[in-house]
Amino acid sequence: MTKFRSAILIVVLVAVGLAIAAAEGLVVKVQTTQLRRTPQFFGPSLAALKAGDRLEKVSEANGWIQVKTAAGVIGWIHSSAVIASTVALTSTGQNLRTQATANEVALAGKGFNKQVEDSYKSKHGEVSFVWVDRMVQVRIGLAQLQDFLTQGRLAGQTGGGK
Amino acid sequence: MSAPRSVRLSAVALVLTLLAASCAVLDQGTGLLGTAGKVADDAKTVKTAGEKLRSSFADITEEEEYYIGRSVAALILSRYNVYQNDALTQYVNTVGNAVALFSDRPEIFAGYHFLLLDTEEVNALAAPGGLIFVTKGLLRRCKDEETLGLILAHEIGHVAAKHGLQAIKKSRLADAFMFLGTQAAKRYGPQEVAQLTTTFEGVLSDIVEQLIVRGYDRASEYEADGLAVKFGARTGYEPGSILRFLKTMVGDKSGASGNGWFKTHPSPEDRIDHATKAIAALGGTPKIEAVRTQRFARGIASLK
Repeated sequence: MTKFRSAILIVVLVAVGLAIAAAEGLVVKVQTTQLRRTPQFFGPSLAALKAGDRLEKVSEANGWIQVKTAAGVIGWIHSSAVIASTVALTSTGQNLRTQATANEVALAGKGFNKQVEDSYKSKHGEVSFVWVDRMVQVRIGLAQLQDFLTQGRLAGQTGGGK
Repeated sequence: MSAPRSVRLSAVALVLTLLAASCAVLDQGTGLLGTAGKVADDAKTVKTAGEKLRSSFADITEEEEYYIGRSVAALILSRYNVYQNDALTQYVNTVGNAVALFSDRPEIFAGYHFLLLDTEEVNALAAPGGLIFVTKGLLRRCKDEETLGLILAHEIGHVAAKHGLQAIKKSRLADAFMFLGTQAAKRYGPQEVAQLTTTFEGVLSDIVEQLIVRGYDRASEYEADGLAVKFGARTGYEPGSILRFLKTMVGDKSGASGNGWFKTHPSPEDRIDHATKAIAALGGTPKIEAVRTQRFARGIASLK
């Protein structure tokens, strides 16, 4: 009977372990976004999120993912704002790898980044970024968009996604 | 004795089954693996391949796409002057962001941004990362907000489908990933930045060449038209507006059209055929509302 109990215990422990492992990790891939109370852009915001923030997937519906933040807050984020947080488990070992995964590069903030842009600018003084910087400063807030949609009798009230 | 033994065997079988099932989970990865302890260790022994190494345009990160797009935008702006009209720029940004919200890619690294170009050439250009340009000539061709919405939806479609990034030559991308990959974990030194900048220049050249000189291939343009119909209708715009716009381009061989849109897009007749099919596939479609046409007229009134 002792062996029987041990076997059951092993099964239970493994099942619990797998349940933990099954919680899918996500990482925010856009510069800034919001954790929302409901799966829609016009829902109330629960928290501000930024690139690199880690989240745990809870469920998924119509292009939206219900997630839990590191602080334990549960809310919704659009699937286009996150990437699966992957852990490389290559049996070949790190020493043999010559390339990184997209995830690693994103988390390291490497690749073609501001440092490369600055170098390009210094090499090409004739290419002006003045208007590029100005155009990215034009931002249309969600409240303004919601008014615009409502006044124009457009789709409206839910906002976004698949 | 026999009963406990069979239980043990069953338990072992169950454990093995669960471990095998866990591989799929681990393929996707999890930040909680550390707490999974023995399970994760065991899984490693049966895992032969981890996360895919970067190999195609789809593996370019959001931040990289943004920085590529910024420089592509700067190069576009080295060929065109900006049409400075704050009110109209704000209106076009509002229509564009409304449509983007109903696209397949509503969230993008630094948001969608639209700028007007001071030329009578009929054209629109989308740099990667959501930086989109519309010419005065194209705005003059728009008769209502529906048309503008559908045209911006076409450009957002190019961004959502990453058509700009697909222009990067595969060999250049392979070289870039090889170099970028080994350097991912540390800060770049001056020599490394110089090498990266050279690769970056090549990437920009590939995209600008396609965007301005050659244009996307027909399949990409038809796909963008299909996405325009989808995103536009989701937003609430009457998708048939894109057909009315394209019809204004049929037989138009004026310099204004020829220098931009005609040079880089398939014939309007072919696009009308494809877009008509996309609209038919939607089933019900939204109708034009006078309130939108009126505010478009107010918005466009300041166009000089």
